[in-house]
Amino acid sequence: MTTTQEPVAEQAHGTHRMTTAKAVAEGIATEMRRDPSVVYLGEDVGAYGGIFGATGGLLDEFGPSRIIDTPISETAFIGLGIGAAVEGMRPIVEVMFTDFMGVCLDQIYNHMAKIHYESGGNVSVPMVVTMAAGGGYSDAEQHSQCLWGTLAHLPGMKVVVPSNPYDAKGLMISAIRDDGPVVYVFHKGVMGLAWMARNDRAVGDVPDEAYTVPIGKAAVCREGKDVTLVTISRSVHHALDVAERLADEDVSVEVIDLRSLVPLDRPAILASVAKTGRLVVVDEDYQSFGMSGEVVATVTDVDPHLLHAPALRVANPDTPVAYARTLEQAILPMPDRIEAAVRRVLAT
Amino acid sequence: MTDIVFPALSTQRPDAEGVVTRWFVADGERVTTGQLVGEVQVDKVDAEVDAPADGVLRQVVAVDGVARQGEVIGRVDVA
Repeated sequence: MTTTQEPVAEQAHGTHRMTTAKAVAEGIATEMRRDPSVVYLGEDVGAYGGIFGATGGLLDEFGPSRIIDTPISETAFIGLGIGAAVEGMRPIVEVMFTDFMGVCLDQIYNHMAKIHYESGGNVSVPMVVTMAAGGGYSDAEQHSQCLWGTLAHLPGMKVVVPSNPYDAKGLMISAIRDDGPVVYVFHKGVMGLAWMARNDRAVGDVPDEAYTVPIGKAAVCREGKDVTLVTISRSVHHALDVAERLADEDVSVEVIDLRSLVPLDRPAILASVAKTGRLVVVDEDYQSFGMSGEVVATVTDVDPHLLHAPALRVANPDTPVAYARTLEQAILPMPDRIEAAVRRVLAT
Repeated sequence: MTDIVFPALSTQRPDAEGVVTRWFVADGERVTTGQLVGEVQVDKVDAEVDAPADGVLRQVVAVDGVARQGEVIGRVDVA
């Protein structure tokens, strides 16, 4: 066999396809290699790799002194993280589900979020709290909530909620490097977990190197001119599905992924609504007193006349997420409800 | 040519069957040793599959295909 001058097609490396879960773990690992003050603690984050895969493989590389399994005592280990942070470390602390932030909320919003203010700005709390959120897989009322609106309502912490692998890694690195407390919420449905319904939007190309996604910057993930869909996290995927479907009918939907709730990228919302004149907000959190109302107020506070039709909200009704599959699917803002809202706002 | 085998996830049942849940690299694409190329699952436990060599990936078991632990699910053709 002769070997001709066959050029070795050196694939443009520098990015790899992976799930969001893997991208989260990569973001953490990248920063842990760079900065010895970064540690990760929580329940089942070590040998198990995090119940939603966010810390897979990290124990092998960094060992049990930096990837720390804790007892089921959230108040104690959130407090441990706060203490470490005010003394100069950069801990990442996992509360397994947003649903259970209630058991440690005093540490989160009376201490983590307030120490910087209470100290007259002299003490920083460079800490990340991670939480899994969201429903859609029949995990019932205590394991299906988003609650990011509750977190965003309490001042003193940034709140980020990525929807895809690229943003997940970049926002994790930004969160770790931030000098204040950041709550990093990941929806279980965007992680690309093998045991959940397949979701191709949970897989994407991620750069190998460290990079940041700015906290407080929304992304226009699909441009359009007829109506603006503002949303976050798993609902971004549904919104994109609906936008693709309606494109066949020559309806042009703009989809905005907020990516962060605090700070909220109000200019991005205003710019899009100024262009389309129509707004639908999709939020998997409870409807009242939450993100959906805040997004609408962002527009009406500035100029209600930007809206050519009343804004519509597609959110969880103010009821717990049901276990029964049919009820659960009726409660969540699934594509059919989003599509109906888009049609309604366009017909007005 | 280097085989990619279904990793052993269940030690109690060495012949346990699982599913190839995802290929991250298309058939015929180049891979490098250690690169994440796929994902498999037994019951609710999943595991990553890395490239065992530099070369061109060939998928033997397609996504959603069933395989036993230790069975060949793909290979890397070393150029």
